Amino acid sequence: MTDVAAPGLTVRVEAFEGPLDLLLHLCRTSEVDLSRLPIRAVTDQYLAHLESVQFQDLETAGSFMVMAATLIYLKSKLLLPPTGEPGEDELDPEGELLRQELAARLAEYARVKTLGAWLAGREAEQALLFGRTTAELPPPEEIPLQDLSVHLLTRAINRLIEDQKRERPREVEPNPISVLERMGEIMSLLRSTWSLLFSSVAGGDRVRAEWVVTLLALLEMVRLGQARARQSELFGDIVIERGSDVPVGVAAGETDDPAPMPEGEPA
Amino acid sequence: MTEPIDILEALLFASDSPVETATIREVLALPSAEAARTLVEALTARLRDEGRALQIMEVGGGFRLVTRPEVAPWLVKLARARTRQRLSRPSLETLAIIAYRQPVSRPEVDAVRGVNSDAVLDNLLERRLIRIAGRKDSPGRPFLYETTREFLVAFGLRDVADLPKPDGELIIPEPPAPEGEAQGELAKELAGAADPSQQDPGPGGTELASRG
Repeated sequence: MTDVAAPGLTVRVEAFEGPLDLLLHLCRTSEVDLSRLPIRAVTDQYLAHLESVQFQDLETAGSFMVMAATLIYLKSKLLLPPTGEPGEDELDPEGELLRQELAARLAEYARVKTLGAWLAGREAEQALLFGRTTAELPPPEEIPLQDLSVHLLTRAINRLIEDQKRERPREVEPNPISVLERMGEIMSLLRSTWSLLFSSVAGGDRVRAEWVVTLLALLEMVRLGQARARQSELFGDIVIERGSDVPVGVAAGETDDPAPMPEGEPA
Repeated sequence: MTEPIDILEALLFASDSPVETATIREVLALPSAEAARTLVEALTARLRDEGRALQIMEVGGGFRLVTRPEVAPWLVKLARARTRQRLSRPSLETLAIIAYRQPVSRPEVDAVRGVNSDAVLDNLLERRLIRIAGRKDSPGRPFLYETTREFLVAFGLRDVADLPKPDGELIIPEPPAPEGEAQGELAKELAGAADPSQQDPGPGGTELASRG
């Protein structure tokens, strides 16, 4: 178990992949015929081995335990043979079937092990041969669908999502408006109304740069006497009023504002 | 330099996957698949006779240009790494089960191995040695797995028939049934379903014959 995520296995069991692997090992070391599985001997050895093992992974432990339970069940049947004569290696039909099944599974597993070993040899041979793994040619326009699978699609979408996560959305800053421009804006607004709210000029989105520029513009206008500012409560909205000492006409002439003129008063 | 045999060499050189006879025939506008095969044989002979470091391999239903094993040590040096990450024993055994019984579901693979095969299957999927072939029409509709062309290429096989004949039949026990009786029934069915004519039971086959 090298490339498999099985953190729960102790060193002792690492050599055995599962209960069948262990059972097969026990059968082979005692050189018994798989088809006539000697339940007594194998069960004792199996349990002895299990005792020396500590499992951390419940699932692996479970698979070993299920096998242990099966073996113990079979052994218990041997102790109570159908003929009533203990000692005979004889099982009732159900037990015999179970034994046969177990023997068949073992034989099957043994075969798979052999095939696995054959594949390993084959892999080692092929490792000595080097061929192209990436094409020099441009990829075909048509993607061969038979090469695709659900797994590859999920992997592709997951990779895409991961990439998106890493790439945080970039914020595009609007060109900050200048204090002078904002002053002009406020002035042109004040031409059509006596007072207006700071928030309506600065924008409800509370973009920091916008608010700072607006505040600076307002303060400058207050300093120049072009506007008055009133804040009735802490953190409350600021009411901007037209400065009394600046005639409307002068302000209009000084500012080069793009704001629309009030209706009925053409520029 | 534009003789068909030279073009074929270029085709195999430039391609990352095995080139099928049909493709060779199409690209070179050959009259028949037989002609394509003859051409491949001619190129194989030429590479061999000239003592070249390359050879043609028939894998995964096509032809591939690969280096000869004798030059492997130098190529490993060139790569400055071990050739390839080898598959673990569980992976190889799982692959063997799938190769012989495809398409096969995870519970069936688990039943043969006696342990959970989730992680191993994921690893094989990741390496593209197996792929999902669909779903099995059984409770839970588990995925069915089959081997890929990459599997054939990785193990130098023309097709799955190139695999050695298993010693006796590969029988997948049914996933554990809730009742002992049902299990017995299944075992009988399985044993009955075994068709001896299709198999070539070796010495181990007799073990199973006694089951029914």
